[in-house]
Order: sequence, then C-alpha cells, then structure tokens
Amino acid sequence: MSNPARNPARGRRLDDALSQLVDGLTPALPISAIQDEDYSDAEEALAAAESRRHHALMERAWRILDTHASTNAPDPGSPAGLGGRRGSLAGTESINNAPDLIKRKLRRENVSPDKAVRFSNLYSRLLTQPVLSQKWGILFLLYKLSASDEPLEGGERSRSPLMDEAHLHNMLGKGGRPRRSTIIDSEDEGPAVSSSASQQHQRVLPVRMERQSSLRHDIDRDGVDQARRSSTEIPATRVDAGVNDRSSDEHVRAASPRPSSANPSTPAKFSGSVEHRLLRDLPFNLQGLSSSNLHFNSPSSLKLPSNLSAPITSLLNTLAEPCLLYKGLSVFVESEEGGLVNQSLRAAIAIELRAYLSLVATLEAEIRQALAAIGDGTEAQGVRKGGVTLKRCVVWTRDATMALRLMSLIVEEAQNKRGGQLISLIHGFSTSHGDPFVCAFAEKLLAHVTRPFYDMLRLWIYDGELSDPYKEFFVADPEFRPKTDPRRLATSVWEDKYKLDNDMLPSIITQEFAKKIFLIGKSLNFIRHGCGDSAWVEAYSKKASKELRYGDTATLEISIDEAYKTTMARLISLMNGKFNLFDHLKALKSYLLLGQGDFIALLMESLATNLDRPANSQYRHTLTAQLEHAIRASNAQYDTPEVLRRLDARMLELSHGEIGWDCFTLEYKIDAPVDVVITPWASTQYLKVFNFLWRIKRVEFALNSTWRRCMTGARGVLGNVEDKVGADWKRARCVIAEMIHFVNQLQYYILFEVIESSWEQLLEAIRRPDCTLDDLIEAHTKYLNSITHKGLLGSASSSRYGASTSTSAKQPEESFLSQLHQILKFMLAYKDAVDGLYSFSVAEFTRRQEINAKIETRSAQSQWGPTERDLLSRHSNTRTGTSMVSTPDVRPDSAGVDGINTPLSLSGPNLAADDNMLASLRVRLREISAEFRSRLTVLLGDLSYQPDVDMRFLGVVMNFNDVYELPKRRKAAGPSARDKEKEKEKEREREKAKRRAAASVAATWSGTESFVQKEVRRERRDTGANDPGFASGT
Amino acid sequence: MPPKSQDQADDKRQAAREVIDILQEISDLLNTDLDRTELSLCVSLIENGVNPDALATVIKDLRKETGSKRVGNAPAME
Repeated sequence: MSNPARNPARGRRLDDALSQLVDGLTPALPISAIQDEDYSDAEEALAAAESRRHHALMERAWRILDTHASTNAPDPGSPAGLGGRRGSLAGTESINNAPDLIKRKLRRENVSPDKAVRFSNLYSRLLTQPVLSQKWGILFLLYKLSASDEPLEGGERSRSPLMDEAHLHNMLGKGGRPRRSTIIDSEDEGPAVSSSASQQHQRVLPVRMERQSSLRHDIDRDGVDQARRSSTEIPATRVDAGVNDRSSDEHVRAASPRPSSANPSTPAKFSGSVEHRLLRDLPFNLQGLSSSNLHFNSPSSLKLPSNLSAPITSLLNTLAEPCLLYKGLSVFVESEEGGLVNQSLRAAIAIELRAYLSLVATLEAEIRQALAAIGDGTEAQGVRKGGVTLKRCVVWTRDATMALRLMSLIVEEAQNKRGGQLISLIHGFSTSHGDPFVCAFAEKLLAHVTRPFYDMLRLWIYDGELSDPYKEFFVADPEFRPKTDPRRLATSVWEDKYKLDNDMLPSIITQEFAKKIFLIGKSLNFIRHGCGDSAWVEAYSKKASKELRYGDTATLEISIDEAYKTTMARLISLMNGKFNLFDHLKALKSYLLLGQGDFIALLMESLATNLDRPANSQYRHTLTAQLEHAIRASNAQYDTPEVLRRLDARMLELSHGEIGWDCFTLEYKIDAPVDVVITPWASTQYLKVFNFLWRIKRVEFALNSTWRRCMTGARGVLGNVEDKVGADWKRARCVIAEMIHFVNQLQYYILFEVIESSWEQLLEAIRRPDCTLDDLIEAHTKYLNSITHKGLLGSASSSRYGASTSTSAKQPEESFLSQLHQILKFMLAYKDAVDGLYSFSVAEFTRRQEINAKIETRSAQSQWGPTERDLLSRHSNTRTGTSMVSTPDVRPDSAGVDGINTPLSLSGPNLAADDNMLASLRVRLREISAEFRSRLTVLLGDLSYQPDVDMRFLGVVMNFNDVYELPKRRKAAGPSARDKEKEKEKEREREKAKRRAAASVAATWSGTESFVQKEVRRERRDTGANDPGFASGT
Repeated sequence: MPPKSQDQADDKRQAAREVIDILQEISDLLNTDLDRTELSLCVSLIENGVNPDALATVIKDLRKETGSKRVGNAPAME
C-alpha cells in the first residue's frame, strides 16, 4: 500500500475509486463462505470477512499498479502530461494506437464492417467531447478488457482450447464462422498454444508478451485454424463444386481437428521471407496478373513455385481460386455480345468485381502496412504484429471467393441463354438454393439483371409498345406470319399481331400473370393502332406509368392489376361507344337472323315475284330498291343510319339454272376494328344462317300463300268444283297444314329456342363488368357456334373446329342439314303440285261457267240445252281432229275407273286430257306427301337420339301428339319403317280409291241426270261421226 | 452567480454523461463486460493518472480471483 505521497488528495480519491471498483467487481460473500467459522453473529462475521477480503484485494491491486508505475512510467503521478510518457515502452505506444488497435480488432473479428464503422463514429464523437483528457488511456483499457467474457463464462475449460474437440465443434457450429474473440489468459494458455499449434513462423516470445496476449492469441488461433483448414480443405474447394462446400469443409474441419503437420525443420527465416514475398505479390495475383512467383500459364491455370513447403502450397492453392475466377470473369465482363439482359448481367458482375477489387485494395494496404512494420522481413515478430499472413488472406478473401465462384457458375450456364431464360436461371438460384449466401447474392444480381426486363415490361403495359431489339421479352412479334388458311384470308390484328412466348417467360412472373400482361399490352396496342385512339394511350401512360423494379412483387401486382382493369375497361367502352359493337350485333341479329319480322315479311313479299324468275335475270338495282322499300315501310326505318348504311342485298355467285330465291342474300358490312369481334369467319357464319333461315321463310311464305289461296278459293272457285276435286283438296289441305306445322315449329325452334337463348347468353357475357375483348370474342364465337350447331347447321360449326368434333358427331349433323333441305324441297314441290291442282280446278270451273252460260243463252232462245254439236264444235276448236277421234273410245272406261262420276263427265272426250292431268297430279301429290312424311319420320327419329336437349325438344314439339310413328331404333329400323310407312300409305290410298269407286257407283245410280247424259253421249258416239250436221239440223 | 454556476455544473454533468454514454457503447462493442458504474470508476481512475495497462491488469486479476470463487460458489448463492 504505497499511495503516491506527493499528492495525498488525489491519492485518496484514487483510493476511494479503486476501493469502489473492487467492491463492484467482487460479489457479496455468501453465507456459506463463513459457515465453517464459528461466529455467533453471522452478519458481523460476514462484514469482517468481506472487509478482510477487500483489504487483501486492495493491497493486491495497488501492488500491481505500483509495479506498473515503477517499470512503465517513471512518473505515474502525472501521466496527464505528455512528458510523462517520454520513457514509456511498447505499452504506451499501444495506448496511443488504441483506436487503431480497436478498429483492427473489430474488423478482424467481424464479417461485416459495420461494427468498425460504428466504432469510428463513436470515436469521432468522443474526440469532440472536451471533458476527458485521457481518452486514449480509457480506450486502451477497454481494448485490454475487451472480449474477456468468454473465459469467465467458460468456467471449466481444458487448458488448450484447440484440443478440446467438443468446444471447437461447438464454436464452429455456432455460426459457420468461428468467433475469434475467445481470449485465453496469457498466464495459463500461452505455452499451451505455442506448443500445440503449428507455428510455422517460429517466434521468440517477447518478454512482455503477456500484455498483448489477447491480440497474439487471436493471431495464433487464426493461424492454426487456417493452417488446418487449408490442409484439409483443398480437395473440397473446386470451382465447379458449386457453392455448398462451405458446409462440407466445415464438416471436414470438425472431423479432423488435428493440427496440420507443421514442418518444424523449416527455418523460420526462410519461411517468413517466402511468405513475405508471396504476400507482396498477392494483390497482383488476386487481380489476375502474373508475378515473379505465381505465373498465369493460361487463362485457366496458375503455376505455383515448386520449392515451397506443403502448407504454403496448399494455402496458395486456395488463394489461386479467386485469382483464376477473377481472370475469367473479367474476360466475360469485357466481352460485348448478347442481348440487353446479358449486358445487364455483365454490368452487375462488373459491380461485384469492383467490390472485389476494393477488397483487394484494402488487403494490399494491410499487407503494405504489415510489411513496412516488418521491415525487411527478418524479424518474425513483425509478422504477427502486422497481423497479415497468407492464412489470414485466405480468410479475408473467402466470401469474395464464394461470390466469384457463384458468378462464374452463372456466367457458364448463361452461355446459351437469353432474356427471360437468363432471369429464370438466376431466379432459380435465389429461390431454390438452401444456402442463404447464395440466395442473397443471386437476389442482389437479380435486381440489376432484371432492370432491362422491367423497362420492357413497363413500356409494354403502359404504352403498349414492344421494344425488344434482342427478342428477350416474353411477348414476341412473329416476323413471318404463318400462312393462314386461304379460305380465311384476313388475319386478325388482334389474334396474330403478337404472340406469347412461353420459353422466354422468366420464372419471376407466373403464367397467369403473364397472360394478363400480354393482354394489357395487346389491348393498348390495339387501342392505339386499331382504334386510332393514341391520344388516350399517351395520356394514360403519362398518368399511370411508374417504375417497376425487381423485389416488391406486391406493388408490381397491384400496378399491373390496375393497368389491366383500366385498359380493359377502356377497350370495352371504346368498342361499345365509339364503334357501336353492340349495335352491330343487334343489327346482325335482327336482319340476318330474321329478328326483325315485319321487315323480313315485307322484303319477301315485295321480292317474291322478282325472285321466282331465274337467277340471271336478277338485277342489283331492283334488289336494292326493294330492300330500300322494305326498310322504309317497316320498323327498320327507325334504326340508325349507321346500321342501315351497312345493310345490302345482293346475289350470290350465279350458277346456271337456279332461280332468284336460291341466290338472294342480305349482307351486313363490317369494317375495322369491329371485325376483330365479328371476324370474316363470323360473317360467313351469319350468311349461312341467313340463307338457311331465308329458305325456311320462303317455304313458309309459299305454303302460306297457297293456303290462303285455297281458303279463299274454297268459298268461290273450289266450292263449285267440289264434286270433282273436293277430296283431293281436302287431302292437300291436310298435307299443307302438316307442312305448315313443320315449318312453324322449325322456325320457332331456331328463332326462339336457339337464337334468342344464345343471344341472352351473349348479352350476359358482354355485360359482365370485368369483360375483356378476348371474352367478348369468345362469347361471340360461342354464340355463333351454338346457333349453327343447334340450328341444325352442325356442319358449319365443325368447319372451324373440325379437329375437336369427332366425325361421328359430324355425320348426322350434316345429314340433318341435307335432310332439312330435302324436306324443304319436297314442300316446294308439293306447293307447285297444289298450285297445279288449283289451276286445274280453276280451268274446270271456267269450263263449267262457259257451259252454263251457253245453256243459259240457249234456254233464253228457247232452244234445247247444249247439244252434241255444241260440244263437238267446242271440241274441234280446242283439239286436233285425229286425237279427238281416237280418244273417245277409250276414255269412258278409264274414266269410270278413275272415278269420273261427276255430272260433268258428259263432257267426256275433251275432258279426257284433263282427267289424265288430274290423275298425274294426284299421283304426284300423293307421292310427294308420302315422301315428305317418310323423310320427316327419319328426321324425327334422328332428332330423338340427339345428345342436345334442345334438339330433342324440337323433335318432341313436332311430334307432340305422336302422329308420326318413330322407328324404335334409328339405324336398324329406319328403312324398314320407311317401307312400312310407304306400304301403309299405299294401302290407305288403295282403300281410299275403293271407297271412292263405291261412292261413284252410288252416285251413278242415284243421279239420273248423269245417266241421261251418258245416254246422250253414247248416242252421239253412234251417230255423230256420220252426220256432223245432226245437231245443227235438229 | 449561483444560477450560472448551476448551469455550468449542469453542462458539465451533461457532458460527462454523454462521454460515459459513448464509452459505454464502445465497451459494449468490445464486450468488456463492464457496467456503467465500473466504467465511470475506471474513467475517473484513469483521469487521475492511473496507468490504463495496469488498471486493466488489476481488473482482470480481480475478475479472475472473484470469478473462480463465483463459479465455485454459484450453486450455493441465492
């Protein structure tokens, strides 16, 4: 206890402070410490023990301080003055360097420099504080005390930590990088370390080495660790071994904790100087330059000097890796070829290499400092003081080597990839690699590499322009348009201008997302070029455009969703507002699909006479005039002129011998950009449906007019000839009613069940709020398909999607159409036949009128009724002589069979030809109606086996009261049923004929007048030939 | 002028506290395991001319002394 006597006040203050410090550092004595001592008052005893201990500790502290004071500083009492340090040795020197020492220590012990940076900040703040005069001293104290925590908590440690496998393992396992803050107390550990570790640089322990134990041990540990690592690690460090060898060499290290075989015989000086030379050259080597010791033979190999010891060689092997990798990468960075993404990859790698070079620069500075400290390298102690060894260099370059390795791996794999594929490759590293280092590094690269990609993306989704000089984007502009089907000439701007290229789709963007993006750009492009609304696009891109970057996926998604919504809404509103898509669809439905009934009826009425003529006598101007008339006179006149302007009537290509009905067609002209939705294909579909509907309409019109005629005629003309053709008319009316029923059902089905319901679906699809142009096109196509398919025009719908529908399904549909056409043809034929019957009836009627008139005049002249001569004269007027002579003989018999039982049969000879005509008419009517029925039955049979509910429904509607007997099985029973039907028909006919015959007989016997007439006729036959003047004579 | 001296004293105390704050942070960075009181004691000692090297030795010595005891008695404590 020797207080500095000169300054008692200060001494006492010192004493107080020190005793407080001692108190603070020593814990309260536990009761147990004094248990064995037999004091009555435990507290007192405790106090006594504590004070005793305190005293002892104080004494000890002072002794230590004194020793220092005497050896280190001659004047410890006034250390504040600089003069007090004049004589100080290494200790004081260290005090002056304290901040540097701390900085270096921090840098050494921590991977990241942020702790050192923090310390620098704190230190500069400390310097500005005026309060302290002994800043360095305090810092030095802290430095000395630093990291002395481990031994304290370590408790029972083995004497040599390096031998303690468990501890070592634990240390290594804690975090891939062993913390070297484990400080060994010099008194205990110094000798153990130097004896156990492989100290290639043999050193003479300085006398006062204990003072710097923490620093030195640090170095030692480093060295040992490195030596061992480099000796065991070499096989594992391969460039191509990928990036997960960190764990593997840790494994190796843990498995063989044995110190590397040092070469004790190597002279310290030699090894030291070699290492110094190597160290001096190292920065150059790390930059890929040859040096006197290490020479690059080729870009991929480095020659090591052969006269080195094994540990140094293995160290150099490790160090050679970054050298070679750097060389390879710098070559890649300087190359030129490749697309934008490749260039950005190059830039990203260049940035990394720059970071690497700055590391090399710091390394060089360290090496220089160390070498300067050493001098010529003969003083081995300098090496450890400078703190730079080859091993340490290996550690320092370790992370950099990992990065270099990863980069060269990427470069190698990126060789044949471009654009999206390249991004996918790096993204693969960042998402599917277990090593966090690799992930983080790849992420960092991605941020740079994806920049050009995101620029393209931005231009695409905000401007709708594709700027992709190297074809790296996932939207491609196909240069050569694939040769389209010559039948479908027009290629759609919407469908074919851009294509989605899945190969180029980077994995950072999902498939669904890509589709959205594709649609956005396409829509913008279409708005700009197809709809001529570039002003909007520009305003939009100015307003909405924002930077897209890799990383914040959420923002990206939001902005893309927004862009999607805006663009689609704009496009749809353009389509509906500016281009009246909806109006066009409506017009197509009302004109081409016969929705506007009054217009169609009027058009047909006014055109009917015209169209009955042959096709080559139809003139466009008459057609358009009639069309105009139909528009003016119907409700169509209230439609917008925009729509009416597009409506046109024309003839299809003429083919010989057709009549106007077959060639006439209405047309609705569609121009861009609406033709994106109503494609040329759709237009032809509309035309086909129109033609079919027009034909049905025409048949209906014909049947209706015939029906009307026979209804009105029944009151006048036909009523008069009821006795002769009444039954025929009755039958004809039945058949016509049947046909009209059929046509009505067919029309009802097509117009209401098919077109209207499909139209509803179309409307529903169009009016959905999130409807896109693609949806629109799809809905419209579906609409047309369902119309053509269900409207029994199945073959038309399968022309486009031929591949999807099987031929078996196609076959019956095609036959449906032809069946329908056949049936319609029969109807027309029947109508013609009925017209023939009508004209026959009218002719008959007029003849009767004539006869009656003659009888009237004769009776008025009070003569006999019509005489033989009258008949004959009339006969001779109408017929040529020869035929007249021969026929009379035959006719009466045949007439009897045929049922010439009417009273007028007295007009026999000249009626014979008419009878003949009537007979053939009857046969014709009968045949056609039979054929019609059988065809209809087959059709109904087919319909009832259709998979489509609506089509089955049509069958049910047509045959609601089971008037047609359907064959049980379509294929097998079809023909036989038809035969049976025919047979039945024939049988029925025969029966009818019989009945008629019976009726005629009855009529003959009952009607006396007819008898008289017959008599007259026979008489005339006997005499008339000889005496032509008989009648006139009488 | 009592208020002024009071102010000065305040300023001084404030400055001292700041210094100690900084030093505390550095000491945390370096894992010295000193608490605030100990740190300020050390500061005052060094300000009063004690050799920092020696003081470090003393502290380590004390720690070793008491540390081994502490460890040894750890189960019996509390």
